[in-house]
Amino acid sequence: MAFRYLIYLVTIIAMKLENEDALDHLIICDQCRTLHEEIPIEDGTKACCIKCGNVLYRYDSRLTDHGLALSLTALIFFAVANFFPIVQIEMLGNEQFITIPMTFLSLFENGFYFVGLMCAVVLFLFPLTIFALLVLLFLLLKLKKGEELSRSLLIGLSFMKPWSMNDIFLISILVALVKLIGYAQIHMGIAFWALVVFVLLDIYMTKHIHLKDIWMLREQIFMEKE
Amino acid sequence: MIEVDEKDLIRCPVCEAVNIDRGRDNRCRRCGSPIYRYTHFKTEKSWAYLITAIIAYVPANLYPMLVTTQFGKTEESTIVGGIIVMWESGSYPIAAVIFFASILVPIMKFLILVYLLINVKYPMGKDKKINKHKLYYMTEVVGPWSMIDVFVVAILAALIHMHNVEIIAGTAATAFALSVFFTLLAAQAFDESLIKENH
Repeated sequence: MAFRYLIYLVTIIAMKLENEDALDHLIICDQCRTLHEEIPIEDGTKACCIKCGNVLYRYDSRLTDHGLALSLTALIFFAVANFFPIVQIEMLGNEQFITIPMTFLSLFENGFYFVGLMCAVVLFLFPLTIFALLVLLFLLLKLKKGEELSRSLLIGLSFMKPWSMNDIFLISILVALVKLIGYAQIHMGIAFWALVVFVLLDIYMTKHIHLKDIWMLREQIFMEKE
Repeated sequence: MIEVDEKDLIRCPVCEAVNIDRGRDNRCRRCGSPIYRYTHFKTEKSWAYLITAIIAYVPANLYPMLVTTQFGKTEESTIVGGIIVMWESGSYPIAAVIFFASILVPIMKFLILVYLLINVKYPMGKDKKINKHKLYYMTEVVGPWSMIDVFVVAILAALIHMHNVEIIAGTAATAFALSVFFTLLAAQAFDESLIKENH
């Protein structure tokens, strides 16, 4: 993958802009706040910050198709991960299994309403909504419709993104199981593997499809339409 | 033709578009979200959330996180107690993970946020070399990982409820979840544009 560094604007103290739309060609690194000028890059490459190396943006000419395919796949795996048992244990002759919804429902049953609600939101509600909205968003962009709706979807997504914690839950499952080794026989369920695939897809998408890339794509699509 | 100073450009916290800083009542060109820069309370909201989080962290460490009932015997273990038991029984990696997630990450986050909040108001001379934007970004990335312990308790409580062995969550689970929730809010309420680049 080719790296292209951007023109570095820090030394310029004052610039002249034709109008405010000229700001679209500027980009501020989200990690170190360095100002850069955006330049066209080749398909499938990324532009990195000259100061800290953080990825600023990527160009993918088929972003809508890739995004749609990935988010649909993730949604299917998410459904599997929620309907089937994650783990099954055998302990003292008893058999017990859990699914993801059972973890927060059992907290509700025991009266831990706040923790139960928080787990339900970060493990179930937000991940589901995020991927459902992503599917809708990419569909809208593919059909080149819904300028206003896609804006609200993107704003909603940027608020929900930090509150999705399935990757942390996956590590927690492993920690919980290591604690049980020696006390019980553990069988991994199908939902565990589905959750692994879902988390990998989630990580891949957070790394490769930034919301700012979708914002740029959206702007480009609706500008062409005008 | 507009002439702008580089310092007057700010990034929209929602959609990351570059905007000209117009002080109060500024809205993003692209997504229309308000860009707070010189609001009346710059750091107060973040302070309030952070102090709540620190207060909630105290009962999270004093009360039991896990209540195990085994053949009628009830055992309670706190976060630190659980880590010590696991370290002594030889599961070093798990003890390290829990220590990292429930002790190190929250305390580091508190310290970094307190440091940043004090620093934006009273800049100290010596800390020019620290990239505070990077520091803030780090707290955002590692912050949610302190939820590990809460999830582990949720999984164990859902999995182990047989007639002679039962695990239920303790009071500390609620306190700890509250603490994590409010630290995340504090980090989000922190206005990043207050960090002045001084190098």
